[in-house]
Amino acid sequence: MKWSWIPDHAGDLVTITLLHLRMTGTAVFFGLLVALPLGLLAYRVPRLKSVVLGVSSLLFTIPSVALFTLLLPLTGLTPTTVVVGLTVYTLVVLVRNTVEGLESVPPKVAEAARAMGYDRVRTLVTVELPLALPVIMAGLRIATVMTISLVSVGLVIGQGALGQLFVDGFQRDFGVPIIAGIVITLLLALVADALLVGVQRVLTPWHRTGR
Amino acid sequence: MKVRLAAAVLAAFSLTACSGGVTSLDPADSGSKDAGAIVVGTANFSENVILGHLYAGVLKAKGMSVTVKPNLGSREIIVPALQQGDIDVLPEYQGSLLQYLDKNAKQTSAEDVQAALTPVLPKGLKVLPYAGAENKDVFVVTKETADKYKLKTLDDLKAASAELVLGGPAEDKTRYVGLIGLKEVYGVEFKDFKSLDAGGPLTRGALEGGDIQVANLFSTDVTIKNKGWVVLEDSKDLVPAQHVAPLINETKATAEVTAALALLNDKLTTDELSKLDAKVDNDKEDPDKVAEAWLKQQGLTS
Amino acid sequence: MGELFAEILRWFTTGEHWSGPDGVPAQVGTHLVYSVVATVIAALIALPIGLLIGHTGRGAFLAINLSGFGRALPSFGVVILAFQLSGLSLVPIYLALVLLAVPVMVTNTYAGMAAVDHDVRDAARGVGLTGWQVLWQVEVPLAFPLILAGVRIATIQVVATATIAAYLGFGGLGRYVFDGLAQRDLAQALAGAVLLAVVAIALDQALRALQKPLTPRGLRRSNR
Repeated sequence: MKWSWIPDHAGDLVTITLLHLRMTGTAVFFGLLVALPLGLLAYRVPRLKSVVLGVSSLLFTIPSVALFTLLLPLTGLTPTTVVVGLTVYTLVVLVRNTVEGLESVPPKVAEAARAMGYDRVRTLVTVELPLALPVIMAGLRIATVMTISLVSVGLVIGQGALGQLFVDGFQRDFGVPIIAGIVITLLLALVADALLVGVQRVLTPWHRTGR
Repeated sequence: MKVRLAAAVLAAFSLTACSGGVTSLDPADSGSKDAGAIVVGTANFSENVILGHLYAGVLKAKGMSVTVKPNLGSREIIVPALQQGDIDVLPEYQGSLLQYLDKNAKQTSAEDVQAALTPVLPKGLKVLPYAGAENKDVFVVTKETADKYKLKTLDDLKAASAELVLGGPAEDKTRYVGLIGLKEVYGVEFKDFKSLDAGGPLTRGALEGGDIQVANLFSTDVTIKNKGWVVLEDSKDLVPAQHVAPLINETKATAEVTAALALLNDKLTTDELSKLDAKVDNDKEDPDKVAEAWLKQQGLTS
Repeated sequence: MGELFAEILRWFTTGEHWSGPDGVPAQVGTHLVYSVVATVIAALIALPIGLLIGHTGRGAFLAINLSGFGRALPSFGVVILAFQLSGLSLVPIYLALVLLAVPVMVTNTYAGMAAVDHDVRDAARGVGLTGWQVLWQVEVPLAFPLILAGVRIATIQVVATATIAAYLGFGGLGRYVFDGLAQRDLAQALAGAVLLAVVAIALDQALRALQKPLTPRGLRRSNR
C-alpha cells in the first residue's frame, strides 16, 4: 500500500471534497424545494397522500445508471445530471417526513390558532410548520447523509466526485484512493449531520429543555 | 429570543446558499470554457487516462487551452457526450470503436478498419490518423490451463472449449469479435460466458480465481506479463487492428489540432505505451505526471 | 419518447427474453435472492440491537449516531474495496447490501421502542410481567408498525442497490441495465429499470400485508 498517495494528493482531495459537498447541498436544497409543497399537498388532500408517497418511493427504485442515461441527452456529462438524479432520490425521505411532521401536530393546536383568528396560511406558517419542524429536520438529516453517500454513484458517468476515487482504485487495483474516498465520505456525513443538529437546536428553542 | 431566531434563519439560509452554489454546478475549469478550449475525455481505465493526458500535453504545447476529464465511464456513455459537445476529443482504439458502431464489422487490417470507420461514425464525429501504438483484444488463459489443454493458438481452443468459461465485457455476447466470431472462425463454443468488464479488474480477478478459464483482455495489460499468463495466438485474424486514434468532434478538428495530435503518432509505439501503463498500474504513479514526463523526454514538449 | 415506450414493450413481449438463465424469471429470481438474503441478514443483526437499546435505554446515543454514520457508507466504495480484499465473489455485494440495510432498521426499531409510553411500560411491570415479557408482550407489539416501516424502507433500498451486483459481473436485474448500456440497447436497460420497480413494489406490498395481522387490534389505523 502506497499511503503517501494521500498527502501527495491533498490538494485534489480538497477540490473533489468541495465538489462533493456542493453537489450534495444542491440536491438536498432542490429536494426540499419540491418535497415541502408535495408533502403539504399530501397532508391537505388525504386522497393524494398514498399517491404522492407511493410515487416518491417508486422513484427511488429507478437504478441510478438508468436514470443518468435518460438524463444524459438533457443535461450532458456534467455534475448536473447526477444532482438531478439525487434530488429525485431525496424525495422518498423528505416527502414522507414532511407529511408525518405535519400529521404529528395535534389538531387541537391548529384549531386553537384558527379560533384566534389566524387564517389558514398564517396557521400553517406560524403554528403547524414550526411544530412539524423536528420531524422534517430529522428527514433532512437522513436525506443529507444519504445523498452524501449516493453522490458517488455518479461514477458510472464519471461524475462521482469522491466516487471517482473508487474508479481509480478499482482500475489500478489500488486500495488507498478507495479507502480515502470512503473515509472522507463518512467524515463529511458526520460534519453535515452535526451541523444540521445545530441548526435544529437553534430553530426549535422550545425543544431544548428537558432532553 | 428574536435575535436568536433571526440568526438561525440567517444561518440556515446562508448554509443552503453556499452549499447550493445554485447557479453554476460545473467545476470552475469547465465553467469558464471559451470557444477555442478543448476538453479531452477519457474512458475509465488507466491507459486511456494516460492517453488523454498525452493528447492534452501536445495540444497545450501549441498554446491551446485544454482540460482533461478522466474516468468518464465506458464508450456507451462517452461517445454520445462527444456528439453533444460535453467533451471534444477521446482517445479511441480503432477496432473496438468499429465493433461498437457496427457489431458485424469484419475488417482486420489497420487501413481497412480506419476506412470502415468513416461511414459508420455518428454524425459530427471524425477519427484522426492512428498512432503506432496498438492495444488489441486478446484471449488469455493461465499457464496451468494452457498446459492442461495444450493451448497455444485460438485454434487449439476448439477441442477444449466445451469445458471452458469465457469472461469479458457484456458486448462480447452480441458483437462479432466475441462469441459469434470465435464460433464462426475458430469453431469455438464455450460452456458458458460471464459478463464482467472490458479487460478490467473483474476479468483479471475472475481468471485468477478460476471463475473463468479464458479471459478477453487487452494486449498492453501489464498483468498478463506479471502473472505469466498465456496469450492465445489469433492465427486466423479474427481480431481487428486496434491502433490508438483520436475520436474528435468535427467542429474542433482544426488543422492545428489535427497536426498537434499527429505528432504523437510516430513516437507512441506499443512498447512505449506499455511502459507508461506499467508506471501507472504497477508503480501507482499519477497518469498526468507520467504523461508529462514522457512528452518531455520525447522532445514533444519543453 | 413514444417510440422508446414501444421498444420497451417489444422487449417485454419477445419470447426469448423470458426463458433461459438470462431470462426474466431467472434474473428476477436471482435479484430476489440477493435482496431477501441481504435484508434477512440485516434484520437478524439490526432488530436485536434496536430492541436491546430500546428496552434497556442504554447505548441509544451511540447506536443512533453509529447508524447515522453507517448510512453514509458509499455502496460502490464498499463493494470495490471488499472485492480487492476478498476477490470475486458475492461477499462484497452482500456486505454492501447488509451495511446499507442495518442502520435504517436499527434507527426505526429504536424509535418504535422509544415511542412506547412510559406509563404503559410501568403498568406492565406493575401487573408483574418480567422484563422479557414486557419486551415481547408489550413493547414489541406497540413498536411493531415503526419496526416494520424500517424493514420496508430498507427493503426498497436493498432492491434498488442490488443492481450493483451486475457491476461485479453477477446476475440480477442490474444485468439488463448494464448490458443494455454496453450493447447500445436502451430498451433492455429501461426494461431492467421497470422490472426493478415491479420487484420493489411487490416486496413492499408483501411486507405491508404483514402489517395488519401483526399489529394489535387497538392500534390499527385505516390508512397507510
